Amino acid sequence: MRCPSTSTGSLPGRSPADRPAAIARRFAGIGALLTALALAGAAAAAGPKLLPAEQAFRLSARALDATTLEIRFDVADGYYLYRDKLKFAVEPATAGAGVPVLPPGKVIEDEFFGRVATYRGPVVIRLPLAAGQPGGSVSLEVDSQGCADAGVCYPPQQQRLTLPLPRAGAAPSAPVDASPPKKSYFN
Amino acid sequence: MTINQSRWLMVAAAVVALAAGAWVARTMLFAPSATGQSAAALIGVALPDADGKDQPLAQWSGKVLVVNFWATWCAPCREEMPMFVRLQRERGPNGLQFVGIAVDQADKVRQFAGEIGLNYPALIGGYGAMELSKSLGNSLMALPFTVIVDRSGRVAHTQLGPLKEEQLSAIVRQLI
Repeated sequence: MRCPSTSTGSLPGRSPADRPAAIARRFAGIGALLTALALAGAAAAAGPKLLPAEQAFRLSARALDATTLEIRFDVADGYYLYRDKLKFAVEPATAGAGVPVLPPGKVIEDEFFGRVATYRGPVVIRLPLAAGQPGGSVSLEVDSQGCADAGVCYPPQQQRLTLPLPRAGAAPSAPVDASPPKKSYFN
Repeated sequence: MTINQSRWLMVAAAVVALAAGAWVARTMLFAPSATGQSAAALIGVALPDADGKDQPLAQWSGKVLVVNFWATWCAPCREEMPMFVRLQRERGPNGLQFVGIAVDQADKVRQFAGEIGLNYPALIGGYGAMELSKSLGNSLMALPFTVIVDRSGRVAHTQLGPLKEEQLSAIVRQLI
């Protein structure tokens, strides 16, 4: 009787039941399969593991030129940011931060908050600086707040980035990732 | 054993394995890193209520205490609170006590409390409240987060995310 040592499969007509080694191999295979299934069940029940806020809502920014900041959120799958909770402040104040250009986002009908716009996936926001100094730098403070579809919300968080401003005619500066957030908890 | 029978057995075993994994995840992962611990750190705090009056949690010692960390900016928190209001009304006389700790501003808490007819204390917490919830297992510091303390002052259950009514009722029934 053939009994390939590399397989625990059960081809029709094969009966390894009278061979202890084959039985052991077969049960080892079944055991491994069941363990894998149990882990899959565990993963499914636990749902997607929740991320810390700074990973769920990854923030980076760069200066396209001395008068334009580009702010980017990469919102992880299953998470969303509230558009109206985004706030930006720039120091020094003499840089003259203007009104941010926010994409419209997706408007949802929230049971409690009414019609609110939310962001998922990547979001790119432009912030004009009336008097950014070419070759200088600015400190950008970003307030944000978001939730996970799993039914939890993260407190409002405040992050700060220092952005070099390109010299006149130079290429945009490299994106800067936000440092770990400083929690603010209050709007 | 025929091949058909063993195939069905495998399917059955696979289903059992999946279910077992799911059960383990529900009971071991979601539950409660702090379960069984003394809730002394929680019971020991005093936080101002929405009128600014300090409220020590120790005043509810001996009751089954459901401490809910929440905020008005948290939709899932707002969603589960009317159920808490109802359970407080129905089971309060049996020794069930809800206490809300809001990571929020007092005026917003007062307004929302009025809207839903909150019938249990809404205490105002700040950064310290989030740290407190972290020490009880809320490592992500997200909301809602709920800690159920038994009559002897031990943590019976902690939960990040909303509680389902049947789940909460079952836990409370055992503790009351």
